Amino acid sequence: MSQQFLPDNPLPQEVRVPDEMAVFSPEVEAEIDRHLAKYPLKRSAILPLMFIVQRERAGFLDPPGVAYLANRLGVRIMDIWEVATFYSMINTEPVGMYHLQICRTLSCKILGAGTITEHCTRRLGIKPGETTPDKIFSLSEVECLGSCGTAPMMQIGFDYYENLTTGKVDELIEKCRSGELSNGVR
Amino acid sequence: MPAELIKVTINGQEFETDKGARLIDVCREKGFAIPSFCYYADLALQASCRMCLVRIEKMPKLQTSCTITCTDGMIVTTESEEIEKAQRGMVEFLLANHPLDCPVCDRGGECELQEMVFDWGGLEERFTEKKNYAPEKFLSPIVANDPQRCILCKRCTRVCDEWMGEDAIEAGGRGSHTVIGTYGGWLNCSQCGNCIEVCPTGTLLDATYRHQTRPWELSRTISTCTFCSDGCQLSVGSRGGEVMRVVARDRYVNGLNGEFLCIKGRFAHPFVNHEERLRTPLIRYKKGGKLIPATWDEAIRYTAAKLRAVLDAHGGESVGVVGSPRLTNEANYALLKFAREVVGTNNYTATEAFSLVPFFENLGAPLATHKDIRHAKTILLIGGEPEELQPLTGRQIRQAVRNGGAKLVIINSVPIRLKHAASQFIQIRPGTEDAAVLALASKDDAGVAARKLNVEAGALEQVRQHLNDAQGDVIVMFGGELGAEAQSLLAQLSFTFGEKEGRRFLLHPLPLFNNSLGVHDLGLMGGALNPLEILDAAGAQLRAMYVAGSFLRTHLEGREDALSKLDFLVVQELFQTATTEHADVVFPAASFAEVDGTYTNNDGFVQRVRQSIPPIHQSKPDWMITAMLADALGTDFGFQMSSSAVFLELAKQIPAYEGLRYPLLKDESNPVQARHALVGQRDVSAQLVELRSLVEGIEETGETTTQTPPVGHELFKLGTLTSKVPQFHLLAAGNPEPESVLISPLYQITIDPALRDEAAVAGD
Repeated sequence: MSQQFLPDNPLPQEVRVPDEMAVFSPEVEAEIDRHLAKYPLKRSAILPLMFIVQRERAGFLDPPGVAYLANRLGVRIMDIWEVATFYSMINTEPVGMYHLQICRTLSCKILGAGTITEHCTRRLGIKPGETTPDKIFSLSEVECLGSCGTAPMMQIGFDYYENLTTGKVDELIEKCRSGELSNGVR
Repeated sequence: MPAELIKVTINGQEFETDKGARLIDVCREKGFAIPSFCYYADLALQASCRMCLVRIEKMPKLQTSCTITCTDGMIVTTESEEIEKAQRGMVEFLLANHPLDCPVCDRGGECELQEMVFDWGGLEERFTEKKNYAPEKFLSPIVANDPQRCILCKRCTRVCDEWMGEDAIEAGGRGSHTVIGTYGGWLNCSQCGNCIEVCPTGTLLDATYRHQTRPWELSRTISTCTFCSDGCQLSVGSRGGEVMRVVARDRYVNGLNGEFLCIKGRFAHPFVNHEERLRTPLIRYKKGGKLIPATWDEAIRYTAAKLRAVLDAHGGESVGVVGSPRLTNEANYALLKFAREVVGTNNYTATEAFSLVPFFENLGAPLATHKDIRHAKTILLIGGEPEELQPLTGRQIRQAVRNGGAKLVIINSVPIRLKHAASQFIQIRPGTEDAAVLALASKDDAGVAARKLNVEAGALEQVRQHLNDAQGDVIVMFGGELGAEAQSLLAQLSFTFGEKEGRRFLLHPLPLFNNSLGVHDLGLMGGALNPLEILDAAGAQLRAMYVAGSFLRTHLEGREDALSKLDFLVVQELFQTATTEHADVVFPAASFAEVDGTYTNNDGFVQRVRQSIPPIHQSKPDWMITAMLADALGTDFGFQMSSSAVFLELAKQIPAYEGLRYPLLKDESNPVQARHALVGQRDVSAQLVELRSLVEGIEETGETTTQTPPVGHELFKLGTLTSKVPQFHLLAAGNPEPESVLISPLYQITIDPALRDEAAVAGD
């Protein structure tokens, strides 16, 4: 064999820590129970539970959160991973306080979504898919959010901001920085 | 049960076919080539590649033939301009993101996508958009992944889920950004590599073989796996006397395992060309001295003289002959003949982990083949852990449950992974497997058995009821935990439950080694002593020993110096082992890749091992060494340097192998089962009494564990052979995730040599 491998150095001490599981307050647990009660199959509640866990776990599904979901829904970790990576509103990586999701599908694209994204990139110094070092902004391009009549648009947290212009984007970013846009947090 | 016949018209020709047959299968069977990527027999349907489109009359649009079952009067067109246009369009789509880096891709030359593009691809690409780019990375020490080559047929994810029950690899992301991957990016699975095998492109790659050679440079030899007792058929790819890879791809080999192999079969081959292989015969002229290289002539002459001296001084019974369940039937037959005809001793055995002699003596039902397991309706598994020790059997059980709706009953002291497939899992105290057999064989003893097993009596009654009510095939499997009496009773279980219309009992032992059944069939296990006794007798009754292979670690435990008490020890081995440490003469033996021969698997199939490379260094096949030694001692075996002559003689001597010849074993897709004598109903009351008293003697103390053993706790153990594979060291150390997945973990992580010593030989 051309690959030579000499076993001499010891392994790093920690090989693999078994995933710890997230713990939530009784109120959150009650909320989760309410969602679970809605469906005949437990696993059907995967999306609402993901939103709750994401909200409670610093805005993304960290390994303890994923372990919790898998355990609570009685599904495998890989099932959670498949669903989580499918949806753009479920984050598998840490995101900033304000998650700017710019629509890039046809209507928005025609009406200048590219310019908006470019503007954001210049203002924030991050490319789509990245987070600012101060952990305040994340930027991403997403597929159609169903607001074509008011294109171009973006979503911050769960709120829509429509008929965007570069000026409006500047205003929004300022509002985020000053904390005025409190309902947009994640 | 003959299925109802219906009429289907394909391309204007009328055919008769079974009702419920899949259209793609029928078309292919009748000679109409239908291209497909995602369709894979016996896996869940996917219909994602859209290559198998056909036009069916009275159905709107083109239909995917892989999802259509035939109905009466169906009129199908498989070839037309419309279909070809659609298929060409699909290939164009598949290539939209495919990098077309065939010249540097390991799959180039045996790639299904390449072939499909050759048939259906366009001359030029119309897409000018950027292709998705992702770097090639490692998913584990043995699985490399190039995401951009993926065509999302999802064969790998289905194989992982349905064959292995692990669900380690899945499709993540969405749309054109979908990639095959795993949570956390590092695979913690049993590393079977079946995802690599079924991949139609170069997306999942064998990291041990990556960039080593091109497939067309390899010469391929169909052979039998040399690890567990399942006897998977594989294709050994060699180049210039070096084994480069082992695959089970069905275009090269079509055995009982299909494209299935486990990590050992697929990746543990580098031991063949390992630098530590013994190069020449070695002689230790003085006890306590060094092993000194010698010529074959000298070594044979020296050994013959020494053995002759022992025979003259102490007689034939002072020489022990030890075969090995790792070696071919031919090698073991030669050893047996050596023991009987040259030495004249009954002190022969094989280094087998446990004996199945009582089982075969009372064999009351035929052995189950893997196909039987797949189609069984009830499976009873007592002890053992097939998914770690006999992975193919494990897969067959899982498929029988998943696709065949079989009832699986597991009686085990450990919550093994198969538990999740079981309809009834009975966890018992460790070491009380015998009591479970007692409860099955005799209803009256169920109470005492339940107490010893630490289970409720109702659970055992339920198992009896299961077996009583069962329809179709009932497969009884057992591992090495059972004692002699329990084995005999289990072998007669079909008579305990009596004849019933539509029910058939089949037995499936789960021995650990590739030729375990072979050494039993030959009678090597029927010698006067078992491996432990033969070690105990060393130095006392036995003055000399001739060992092919090595004693297991479990044999030598507490008997480390037993072999040093011998006057003379001859060993034939691949490597220096604990057994050769005390040897006076060591002969270099040839490995499975260098010999011709046969192995008998746990189905009773006698399967061919074929020579793919010339023997390494000066090694020789085991049977040849034995024959040379016999010749030097004055007996001509008449093997004429041909393994087929050995087998011919073997087949004449051994009733179960009667009439078998190499030409009859040629076709690996139709394996030949040895005819094990069924003894019919035997009086086993003596064994029952014995077992009852044994069970009553079991102490009710053993602790049960609720922890499912981790994946690979047996598979990744380092043995003599697997420790020669660098990747196994990483896996045995817990498969640590490297800092960067872009570089092979072999270059990033080094392993504590102490871990090598924690090796166990079981199953290796």
